[in-house]
Amino acid sequence: MTAIDDLEDARQDLESLLLDVLNSTLGEEAFTTDEPLPPGPIATSRLSIHDEVEDAYLGIEVRVGAVLARLLASKMMAAGDPTPDDLLDAVGELGNIVGGNVKTLLYHTARLSLPMADLNAEIGQESEEDLHGSLRIAASAFGQTAQVTLTPDAPVDGLYWPPSQEDEALEKQL
Amino acid sequence: MKILVADDSKAMRMIVARTLRQAGFSGHEIVEAEDGAQALELVGEEEPDLVLSDWNMPEMTGIDFLHSLRRSGNEVPFCFVTSEGSEEMRETAEEAGAMGLITKPFTAERFSEVLSPVVRS
Repeated sequence: MTAIDDLEDARQDLESLLLDVLNSTLGEEAFTTDEPLPPGPIATSRLSIHDEVEDAYLGIEVRVGAVLARLLASKMMAAGDPTPDDLLDAVGELGNIVGGNVKTLLYHTARLSLPMADLNAEIGQESEEDLHGSLRIAASAFGQTAQVTLTPDAPVDGLYWPPSQEDEALEKQL
Repeated sequence: MKILVADDSKAMRMIVARTLRQAGFSGHEIVEAEDGAQALELVGEEEPDLVLSDWNMPEMTGIDFLHSLRRSGNEVPFCFVTSEGSEEMRETAEEAGAMGLITKPFTAERFSEVLSPVVRS
């Protein structure tokens, strides 16, 4: 269930999912949008779903601007002045919630990586060709855009997968 | 009551503690753990009355944490609070001895519904 056509078929459900997550975490009604991310630093949360049946990966990247990252951390942690670590934690957890819900929506037997967050991701100009083969959805809350990009077969370098005792038992046998 | 909250996100641990209060479960002592391995240690030291645990965590996952608890004979009420909520995971959680699974994002009403049997208001 990682072909781009399958993702397109699920676009509406994925948009609803993003709105639900933003509504809940920000306590503010979110709307779908075509607006781009604001200029300036972009915070990202990157993770992946491993489809264990097809042995295929689906990359998930959540992007928000600095203002929304700050609002998110303030709301989630009830903190007036969140630290950079608070921002990383909040943006990472936003990715985790989106990723977990995407996994529940699209897969039966799959593993979700832990999120990897970055507060100053280098995001260059993207052409339509760059997004070929990916599905991007976006929503706005407090006038700030959040983007989610789903990419079949995206690289999984640097991602950390939760350990499992089954893995350890297998390693001991080898 | 003493409630152990295990999640690798500090933000989520704070949200869980806040949602407990919003659900009417105030005045309980909250103990926090950053992963399943730390949570397992804290269960021995703190003897909580309830465990609320994420599933996907570094060092030790929530399901391995629950299996370890039950293998050691510890029957503390255990509920998952996780971003994933497939039927397969719910069945796995139930078979392992969890009382329920609350998916993120959640509401105070959902906390009340699932946790009322074991938490005093």
